[in-house]
Amino acid sequence: MTDSPKRILVLGVGNILFTDEGIGVRAVTELERLYDVSENVTLMDGGTLGTRLMDPILNCDMLIVIDAVLGDGPAGSIYRLTGEDLRKSLAFKDSMHQTDLVDTLIMCELVGTRPDAVIIGMEPEDYHTMALELSPVSQERQEALMGFVLEEIAKAGGSFTKKAVPGPLTQEREQCA
Amino acid sequence: MSGSKPQAIPVTPKSNYSGPVIVDPVTRIEGHLRIDATVENGKIVDVRSSSQLFRGLEIILKGRDPRDAQHFTQRSCGVCTYVHALASTRAVDNAVKVKIPKNAIIMRNLVMASQYLHDHLVHFYHLHALDWVNVANALKADPAKTAALSNSLSPNRKETAAQFKAVQDKVGALIASGKLGIFTNAYFLGEKKNEAYYLPAEADLMATKHYLDALHMQVKAARAMAIFGAKNPHTQFTVVGGVTNYDALKPERIAEYKALTDEVTAFIKDFYIPDLLAVAGFYKDWAAIGGTTNFISFGEFPTDEYNLESRFFAPGVIFKKDIAKPQAFDQNQIKEHVKHSWYVGDAALHPYSGVTDPKYTNLQDKDRYSWMKAPRYMGEACETGPLATVLVAYAKGHKPTVDAVNFVLGKLGVGPAALFSTLGRTAARGIECLVTANQIPVWLDALVSNVKGGDTELYTPWKMPSEAEGVGFAQAPRGALSHWIKIKKGKIENFQLVVPSTWSLGPRCAAGKLGPVEEALMGTPIFDPKRPVEILRTVHSFDPCIACGVHVLDAKTGETASFKVL
Repeated sequence: MTDSPKRILVLGVGNILFTDEGIGVRAVTELERLYDVSENVTLMDGGTLGTRLMDPILNCDMLIVIDAVLGDGPAGSIYRLTGEDLRKSLAFKDSMHQTDLVDTLIMCELVGTRPDAVIIGMEPEDYHTMALELSPVSQERQEALMGFVLEEIAKAGGSFTKKAVPGPLTQEREQCA
Repeated sequence: MSGSKPQAIPVTPKSNYSGPVIVDPVTRIEGHLRIDATVENGKIVDVRSSSQLFRGLEIILKGRDPRDAQHFTQRSCGVCTYVHALASTRAVDNAVKVKIPKNAIIMRNLVMASQYLHDHLVHFYHLHALDWVNVANALKADPAKTAALSNSLSPNRKETAAQFKAVQDKVGALIASGKLGIFTNAYFLGEKKNEAYYLPAEADLMATKHYLDALHMQVKAARAMAIFGAKNPHTQFTVVGGVTNYDALKPERIAEYKALTDEVTAFIKDFYIPDLLAVAGFYKDWAAIGGTTNFISFGEFPTDEYNLESRFFAPGVIFKKDIAKPQAFDQNQIKEHVKHSWYVGDAALHPYSGVTDPKYTNLQDKDRYSWMKAPRYMGEACETGPLATVLVAYAKGHKPTVDAVNFVLGKLGVGPAALFSTLGRTAARGIECLVTANQIPVWLDALVSNVKGGDTELYTPWKMPSEAEGVGFAQAPRGALSHWIKIKKGKIENFQLVVPSTWSLGPRCAAGKLGPVEEALMGTPIFDPKRPVEILRTVHSFDPCIACGVHVLDAKTGETASFKVL
């Protein structure tokens, strides 16, 4: 029996034009900048593609979504969501053309297979102001958010090492990191 | 249904219902459409087709560089991707009078051909099939009998009972979970069986599996477009003067395109067409429901961009269903009416003089009730789309079309009169798809031969005139599309799009003539006013694409946000 490692997809999603709505994208790009990950782990910026992410989702066994989530906590609260709570992924509901993450997973199941999935989400302070920078609260909590994602990667059978020399900050990232 | 009489043509069940039946929004289309029908004793006696979207593209384009038009207009719609880019490019080509190299014409045609393949496959299985196929009933099917049924429809099918059982299990689990996803609010669901569906369970299961198979197949058709078109949706290879996809002339790109289109063509022949014929065979009464009277096609796949008659599918107009007398198309005979639409005034203007001056009234207004204008040709409402393309080609004796039409009519055991119906419209889509697919290798060979002979021209340089006007005609998968441009001081002075769905799904005109879909719906029987799948069967058969409007809801309050255009 082959025991190939689980294919893990870390999908940071959201709209970077609206302050903390981009928290998922910022987190995954920062992970890319700071860490090397094992071969079975893919770090991906899913932006606002929503259901168009079906292709990479169909090709993984474990899906870890990083996104803004409207929960009941104060700004900066970090949540771990599974099951029906996956519908709270803000980025998958960003327009009248989208359904939500659960429906996206149901569609994946209809045409192929559906991965296990979890959201590591954060309560946004501000997702209305048009700005590329994260709010100060989100900036402060980003490291904790990334930490929970790394835990999730390890739980699923992936591994990571901190890069000796981190990747370059882009002009955008300088504003956000 | 009397199960003991195997050959009886079923009659769509009727009710005694009298009252309104509103379907809003119509789903499994592109865009926002509302159908407002009045039913009397189980049949539709009055109906309004209401497009709920305002585009305003014409307003956005005014004052811009004509070369940019295609990039804006293509964003009308990602389902009808490419076709607007082509129509806009052709309009400016026409205005500046540049000759297009023959390889560029072939490239434009090949991308359009693969768009037909993509659109029609998706339409039949994913937008239309569930009006005829009862997915819930598929759970009652015998998988072995289903495999036998399926394999009897094409010698190239080798489906197994296990495959059908797997689909049955998957769909069964989905329905049982209560989280219905794509089947939410389907008209075949509900406590009481919807008697308007009457396929045997094995046919339902077969079609359900092929719905899922077709989801994977349409990816390939879309990829084929991206090989020559740069990306999909929204190709980026057309320019005024030709095309820019020099990379596509390489043998490896051509081989990629060929492999994908060959595979899709095989699916069309072995699955789409036989499934279409099988389902149609059970719904033959729909050969007498949903017909219209007049048809318009601009033709497609030219060898000369300045001659519509050079098109593989010829242009033409058919009045009063008279396929013995196809009329030549005269572009001066088009007028767009606004009398029953949400625009200022009552004028009926030719597109070169077209005005886009929106004026909304309200949703209940029976007099002005659509964001679509009402295009009329010589004063008549004309249906467009694959049925129009096929009828005109058939009427003009186009051999591949004549052969395909006769094959389909023969298989169904019906005469040409059956074409003037919802069933006919649906069959015509398959015919157009098949005939186009069969022609792709011919065009591809011509391209390869030109390149081998040393001709790699894809572009002709040109200069922007100060003043000009031009029109670009395309026969998109949904029908007759035209872009009309007036250039002044080198910028867009006026731009009008007359899109196929406006022809087919537009409202009444100043003479009070019903739009084609309205005419088609009159007299349609309705079995269950709460699940009026009969309306969907006909509306979907037009493959509506209403093009995106500007409607924004606040996620928290659900209120419509208002926009001030600065």
